[in-house]
Amino acid sequence: MTLTLALQLAIAGISVGAIYALVALAIVIPFKASGVLNFGQGEIVTFGAYATLILTQLALPYPVVLVSVLVLGATGGIAIERALIRPIVKAPEFTLVIATFAIGLLIKGAISIKFGDSPNTIDGPFGSDPIIAAGLRFNPTALWICACTALVTVLVIAFFRYMRLGKAMRAVSINPEAARLMGIRVETVYRWSWAISTAIGALAGLLVAPLIGINPEIGQLILRGLLGAVIGGFTSVPGAIVGGVAVGLIETYSGVLVGSAFKNLVPFILLMVLLVFRPQGLFGTAEIKRV
Amino acid sequence: MGARNRRHAIVTAVAVVLLAAIAATMSSYPVYLLSLAMINIIAAVGLNLLTGNSGQISLCHSSFMAIGAYSSTLLTVRFGVPFWAAILLGAALAALLGALLGAPASRLRGIYLALATLGFLQIVQIVIEEFANVTGGVRGLTVPKPTLGGVRVSEYARFLIVLGLCALAIWTARNLLASRIGRELNAVRLSPHAAQALGVSVHRVRLAAFALSAAYAGVAGGLQAVVVGFIDPVEFGVSASLRQITFIVVGGMGSVGGSVIGAAVLSAMPEVLRPVKEYSDLIYTAILLGFLIFLPHGLVTLWHRVTPRTPRADAAPAPGSTAP
Repeated sequence: MTLTLALQLAIAGISVGAIYALVALAIVIPFKASGVLNFGQGEIVTFGAYATLILTQLALPYPVVLVSVLVLGATGGIAIERALIRPIVKAPEFTLVIATFAIGLLIKGAISIKFGDSPNTIDGPFGSDPIIAAGLRFNPTALWICACTALVTVLVIAFFRYMRLGKAMRAVSINPEAARLMGIRVETVYRWSWAISTAIGALAGLLVAPLIGINPEIGQLILRGLLGAVIGGFTSVPGAIVGGVAVGLIETYSGVLVGSAFKNLVPFILLMVLLVFRPQGLFGTAEIKRV
Repeated sequence: MGARNRRHAIVTAVAVVLLAAIAATMSSYPVYLLSLAMINIIAAVGLNLLTGNSGQISLCHSSFMAIGAYSSTLLTVRFGVPFWAAILLGAALAALLGALLGAPASRLRGIYLALATLGFLQIVQIVIEEFANVTGGVRGLTVPKPTLGGVRVSEYARFLIVLGLCALAIWTARNLLASRIGRELNAVRLSPHAAQALGVSVHRVRLAAFALSAAYAGVAGGLQAVVVGFIDPVEFGVSASLRQITFIVVGGMGSVGGSVIGAAVLSAMPEVLRPVKEYSDLIYTAILLGFLIFLPHGLVTLWHRVTPRTPRADAAPAPGSTAP
């Protein structure tokens, strides 16, 4: 493998990894706040992609589309949390896993009835002519994705560190009872953790749409996002970003190194190995209970 | 207990005879649907032992069905193994892989177990898709009509085999749950610490539950291959796993009767929903979600409400609850 190829693959890996990182981040935030892992997050991404498609077809300018998709995503998350998650938030983990899965399937089912299974394409905001620098090709859409992911990461970290709501979220994730006794409205925290998470998920859909096209199967991205979250440890924001990018790099390089037949297997074998030997990931502090 | 068991044995025997008699008068399509319903029952009973009784989430029950279906079909096609032996061998292989997955997975709880089983499902899917020269890949595999001693097994005889195995699966599960093993399974779900303190090897019981439920799924998969006559990876994807979970959630977690009711009722759904076919997946998922939120202990609780009974020592409170 030449250096140029290796670097080119790194660029490709980081670009897809940035999307996985956003999905991983969207998974981690409500999990951190309320202990609910949203297995339907992939379909939030699909939702974001279709929302982008519709708004773009209305000939709205890109910034308007961007803001609308974020607002739609957040609104959807608040609605799901209020209507479907809050009644069962105290239920056994099994119920929550299956319920979030089912919510995802509902969204996907509704989308494929409305739009059919045929793929749609959409142009990126900066065209698709590659930018060539130092002998390497950069896809402008991919660069835009990386920039957005970086910005979201900084915003989310700042949110948890400096904002009142972010600090409340951290308090609730450590001890909901104590947080409630200190006057924090735990339900509000849950609601906004969902709103932020689904807004990020919808943003991932908007960003990925020009790259891979729009079809009801976009939700499959969640598997990579979950792996990213596992690598990063389920409770760490920087971990989710590093984990997601790592998944992108692993996937891209393994495609070249081990051939296409095994390429798809690598992430899942890695997932199993990690879960068995290091379920808390590389950054996280999740405990596993042994008997 | 003795009287209860005898009553259940009589009910089951009557049901088997009735079904066999009714099927003899029916045309082939309803018999085919009945066979599929009973295959669903076998899979649901197995999944319920794992999830409802031992308290472990599994998103890969359909993968064990796939393992049973593909291995039995390949044994028949490539090595000329008789179909009944191939189904048993397929179930044995599924049980073995279930134990292999269960060994590490049974140390994981909650979402980590959900993730591990989801990962296993993906691995099985990808292996089926990528090794197309053996498995037929995404284009699927045609399963030969079963023969016995060179004579083709008639559709009705095939139905009787499925019926017999279904009754056997129910009977075995009931007896297991009434035995020490059943009490251990429930104990491990309700309080692993207490179970361990009382000398139950929690790890061993969880692993056994995985192997056992995989064996059930393996039988169901092998039968499905023979009855449908065609297998492809899509049939054994995550939505199939979710469908089986719907069976036990709707029926009732931790209850053999619940598995039977849930699988039987929901197997009829595609036929009922035929006029609104495109919405059937949506309705199916909505049913699952509705039950999780409003009737988490399933249809059997309705039955218990109209026929109050004296609580049994092994009756499972809070079915489906995992250990804290």
